[in-house]
Amino acid sequence: MAASHDVLVVGAGLAGMRAAVEAVGLGADVALVSKVHPVRSHSGAAEGGINAALGNASPDSPEEHAYDTVKGSDYLGDQDAIEILCREAPGDVYQLENWGAVFSRTEDGRIAQRPFGAAGEPRTAFAADITGHVLVNVLYEQVVKRDIRVYEEVFVWKLVVEDGVCKGVICWDLLHGGLKAIAAKTVIVCTGGAGRLYVGTTNAYACTGDGMALALRAGVPLKDMEMMQFHPTTLAPSGVLITEACRGEGAYLLNADGERFLERYAPNAMELASRDVISRAAQTEIDEGRGVNGNVFLDLRHLGAENIFERLHGTRELAMTFVGVDPIEEPIPVRPGAHYHMGGIDVDVWGRTEVEGLYAAGECACVSVHGANRLGGNALMETITYGRRAGAHAADAAFGGTAAVVPASAIADAERELKTLLDRSDGERPWRIRDELGETMHENFGIFRREEQMIQQEEIVRGLRERYERVVVEDKGNLFNTDLTQALELGFLLELADCMVVAGLARKESRGAHARPYDYPDRDDANYMRHTMVRWVDGRPVLDWKPVAVTHWQPQERTY
Amino acid sequence: MSARSFRLWRGDAQGGRYADYQLEVQPGMVVLDAVLQIQRTTAPDLAVRWNCKAAKCGSCSAEVNGKPRLMCKTPLDMLPDDRPITVEPMRAFPIIRDLVTDVSWNYEVNKRIPPFTPKPDAVWSIGQEDVDRMAEFRKCIECFLCQDVCHVLRDHHLQSQYFGPRFMVRVASLEMHPLDTLDRTQLLSGEGGIGLCNITKCCTEVCPEHIKITDNAIIPLKERVVDSVYDPVPKLARALRKRLPLRIR
Repeated sequence: MAASHDVLVVGAGLAGMRAAVEAVGLGADVALVSKVHPVRSHSGAAEGGINAALGNASPDSPEEHAYDTVKGSDYLGDQDAIEILCREAPGDVYQLENWGAVFSRTEDGRIAQRPFGAAGEPRTAFAADITGHVLVNVLYEQVVKRDIRVYEEVFVWKLVVEDGVCKGVICWDLLHGGLKAIAAKTVIVCTGGAGRLYVGTTNAYACTGDGMALALRAGVPLKDMEMMQFHPTTLAPSGVLITEACRGEGAYLLNADGERFLERYAPNAMELASRDVISRAAQTEIDEGRGVNGNVFLDLRHLGAENIFERLHGTRELAMTFVGVDPIEEPIPVRPGAHYHMGGIDVDVWGRTEVEGLYAAGECACVSVHGANRLGGNALMETITYGRRAGAHAADAAFGGTAAVVPASAIADAERELKTLLDRSDGERPWRIRDELGETMHENFGIFRREEQMIQQEEIVRGLRERYERVVVEDKGNLFNTDLTQALELGFLLELADCMVVAGLARKESRGAHARPYDYPDRDDANYMRHTMVRWVDGRPVLDWKPVAVTHWQPQERTY
Repeated sequence: MSARSFRLWRGDAQGGRYADYQLEVQPGMVVLDAVLQIQRTTAPDLAVRWNCKAAKCGSCSAEVNGKPRLMCKTPLDMLPDDRPITVEPMRAFPIIRDLVTDVSWNYEVNKRIPPFTPKPDAVWSIGQEDVDRMAEFRKCIECFLCQDVCHVLRDHHLQSQYFGPRFMVRVASLEMHPLDTLDRTQLLSGEGGIGLCNITKCCTEVCPEHIKITDNAIIPLKERVVDSVYDPVPKLARALRKRLPLRIR
């Protein structure tokens, strides 16, 4: 008897686990499937915190949180989705606390809140600088407590959609080898981001956009895929993240001359301007020769050793390990790196996609809460609030009816396709294609974008896709065959890159993370205050548009 | 650029051997970078776990030059260059293949520890000093290097009698939560096997998060076990303290 569940959640990071916990609470038979053990998910790398208008540090309200988020999104966020997030966030944070999440405290014993970029009030709740890690462990405890089945180290390769309805997944078992089908009445995709499209990224190796590509292949459009956030402070060469909390605590960004260069870019907010603004500023300094070895500097020294030990201990550890710098003594060399995908699977405010029974939540989804630029601390909040909502709706939709079945033909097709790949012995190894993709995306589709570079990148990606058709997997074995899974991941990444470039070319303006200073330096609300939507038709991306939901806030000029 | 030699253990549950590799290395590289470079260029069938490359996910645990380490957190510069860098799987766990071990026993142990259990009418006021006390334990990334080095598990194979240092840390984080209502001391003295630890501090030495496992988790828990098993007064006092909201304390 093949595995079958009411609700199957693909990906066991914060969004996935929150969705699973909610669905099981409503009485559904739920399982999680993940290519890594849940606590090893990339959600655990989130450092800074989670935004909710608790009002513990200063008077605050969900409306203010929503306004900051709308403005931060450069008016591309869907305001109905943002209002839901901001309204439900405080309750969700208290729920996490009741499950044992230990947040840092105020003097009178309440949850402390720190300032974060582009937030009007100190709104970011945090657990020192390991917030994501703490939340992942708390949610995993809830998953274990509820005895939720977890298919661990199982790589989801295909969604099974029959007659327009999602019936489950086909996956490769990393530990034992072999394809297997898991059927489900509803499937929630929570696979996170695709930072691995870029050579310099804060993202873990697992962040290969699997869920986005799965949904794309299942006929679902991807929204705002050109919107990739670059985090201003990452360590060269591998892109290890240095949290925004450093700047929240008062750290300075300096150029080679020791100048706080943000005075020239964001004179009011300075280091607490939004990420797109600061990344562009830092990259400009580097490009114009005011960096050192491709870096600017993050200076924590004036914060004092005690403060650094207490609130930024993890940051100090990372800097000492990866660049040999003790931030108590020296500034940390940092550069912008690919960090977060604002775009993703087009879903409604319940996480529903166009395909019946298929849902998405977290970074792989695009509700859209973040629009063209995400605020620090809003991603963790989105995983929780929209993970919960997707879990609730998917459980409800799975209620009653007969057990889902993956048709035998779908499994046979997958077996045949896999055999073709594994039988091939003459061709190119995947890693060169992967490296070229990462380097060219960085070069041609990075922080600043030029028309001719994007056109060139489109050709490069198409060329890489052709080469991928002849890719060779040399490991033919069953035990922990990452040669195979990395090749399959590369297939996902290539299709996503194609979608991104097509969307980027179509958006002839500068908005949030999509900066075209050379040909379209301004935001163009009349023509482009709308979402790009890319579908996969006959093996290539096809572009369309969708209006932005506006409730209260008309677009205004965005300065910090 | 300079050349370094690597000696990786290759094999499976049936046995294996060491294989030698040469690699041009760059300044700033860590062992994981080198292993992945070997995997992509010369050994595509090398099995290895990895993910975050930033010492946060606990995936890439191995024994580097005989010492349990995170590969992503071990710069090549810190290893002597007059001999090959040896990378082996963790020895306390069954081998799956090459550098990948079966650590599922740990996840089964985890399930036997009762989760955080607050009183339904708890007042959610917590002092920063309580948070600070638990903070260290919450840093654990479950790399299981402490489990790997613990001689009770590694040399005496007493997995059936001792949870191991990782789960002493986990119990400590729960027991020291001011709003938790459970008492896990019976579990610790019974199936948890805390008495088997004779505080050699090997676990503390290998912890990549620098958690003082022995001093701050195991020894205080041993004291609690002694208190609760042999002396009811401190246990009662602690129970009362846990139940009082912060303001009254």
